[in-house]
Amino acid sequence: MTARAPLAALTAPLALLALWQLAALSGVFPTQVLVPPADVAETLWSLARSGELERHIGESLFRLGLGYLIGAVAGLAFGACIALSRLAEAALAPAFLAVWQVPVIAFVPVLVIFLGIDEPFKIAIVALATFFPVALATFDGIRGVPKAWFEVARVYRTRIPDLILRILVPATVPAVLTGMRVALTRSWVVLVAAELLAADSGIGQMMEMGRQMFRIDVVLAGVVVSGVIGFALDRGAKAIEHRATRWKYA
Amino acid sequence: MKQVLARPAARFAIGFVVPLLFLAWWQWQASSGGARALTFAPLQSIGAALVELVADGALARDMFATVSRSLAGLAIGGSLGIAMGVSMAIWRPLDRVLGPLLHAIRQVPLIGWLPLFGLWFGTGQGTELIVVCLSAFFPAMLNSYEGVAHVEQRYLDVGRLYGFTPFQRFRLLLLPAAMPLILTGLTQALAFAWIASIATEILLGAGSGLGVTMQLAQTQQRLDVILVAIIATALLGFAINTLFQRLRRHLLRWQAAPL
Repeated sequence: MTARAPLAALTAPLALLALWQLAALSGVFPTQVLVPPADVAETLWSLARSGELERHIGESLFRLGLGYLIGAVAGLAFGACIALSRLAEAALAPAFLAVWQVPVIAFVPVLVIFLGIDEPFKIAIVALATFFPVALATFDGIRGVPKAWFEVARVYRTRIPDLILRILVPATVPAVLTGMRVALTRSWVVLVAAELLAADSGIGQMMEMGRQMFRIDVVLAGVVVSGVIGFALDRGAKAIEHRATRWKYA
Repeated sequence: MKQVLARPAARFAIGFVVPLLFLAWWQWQASSGGARALTFAPLQSIGAALVELVADGALARDMFATVSRSLAGLAIGGSLGIAMGVSMAIWRPLDRVLGPLLHAIRQVPLIGWLPLFGLWFGTGQGTELIVVCLSAFFPAMLNSYEGVAHVEQRYLDVGRLYGFTPFQRFRLLLLPAAMPLILTGLTQALAFAWIASIATEILLGAGSGLGVTMQLAQTQQRLDVILVAIIATALLGFAINTLFQRLRRHLLRWQAAPL
């Protein structure tokens, strides 16, 4: 990386912003189609000042957090269960793999019928989107522990709690964390989709309302916010993953 | 127990226990006459819905629509993605200028573009296809870029020794070396395009397709129709994926070790 690289990296977005501003000001496009970036920034600022943006983000993140927690705990338990017991694997894995073939988004209509379009539906769809990657990563992680390590543990007469804490957990953490990171970004996408479909608050709903009222500045503000949140979630999860697996590269 | 589980037939049979118990529970819920019985569609009505949808050709039409939308998105978005990824890897200035922008766009959840595209292009089938193309574009671009950018130096050295022209270098070195990752990118792009097709169909409901049928059935409280569409989605997704993996293995059969 040369010192010039960051500058060059900024050129394209800045040039695009300038072009966008000029195109919007030229009056060729009606304001329902293109608004200048300055207007988007202004809308974002006024949404932030009125506390509306904070409310939408808060609602979305609350749903994401609760659904993710439920899905991740269930996924960890399920993945560990089918990885550790051959009977559980034989009984549950085929059904799990069959359901896994269905894109999570396709469960939206089913969940709406059973749960309605309120809060439980959104939390359930996030939990579902989280459950599958976490369960699969946990299963792979535990099954990937080399047999030899258990044999060494037996030679050293390691007690069961030690076996779990000092061999099983450290050996599976990297795979599980990767699965949890993938699950986080996926559940964010699914949540935004669910909010577009049916919600009274949240980033997705803010964009959908903006669309229905032809407020393209609000829609674009929503696009920016959902992008920044998605980016922050991914980066945050990557940082945690990196810290927790530091010993691997030492 | 261990001996029972060692037999493949027994393992196979055990795999059916939980689904069958679930179906029995489902049927009991549907026929119990309670307040929730209306929500649970009894199995015979799911069967009837399947027969009905197959008989009037609606299911075949939906499957065809969703598959062709995904494949069209894969063809357009995937080829643009490969072209972009390869050019960015070969010509670094393009990477420096467009890379940050594309990575910024990538951060927005794909479905998050729908309201914007809805305003720009309407809420019809065109918008559905654009989102599907976009979903196929990024995995194809990222993997092609990685593939071409990380060709082993010793290959390039051999090319220099033979005095390859830039075109020969591309055709004989870069492209074959990058092929496994490009195909990985296309496989991912197909999975993304498939999910994006279903998602946009559910959210926009334009044209025909499995997602459109699901969404319509949801507003009519027809759980039986939704479930038939979901089962068709699962089977189709599985079939397409298997087919693509076979194709990938066929195209990469020259590799020493199968990936």
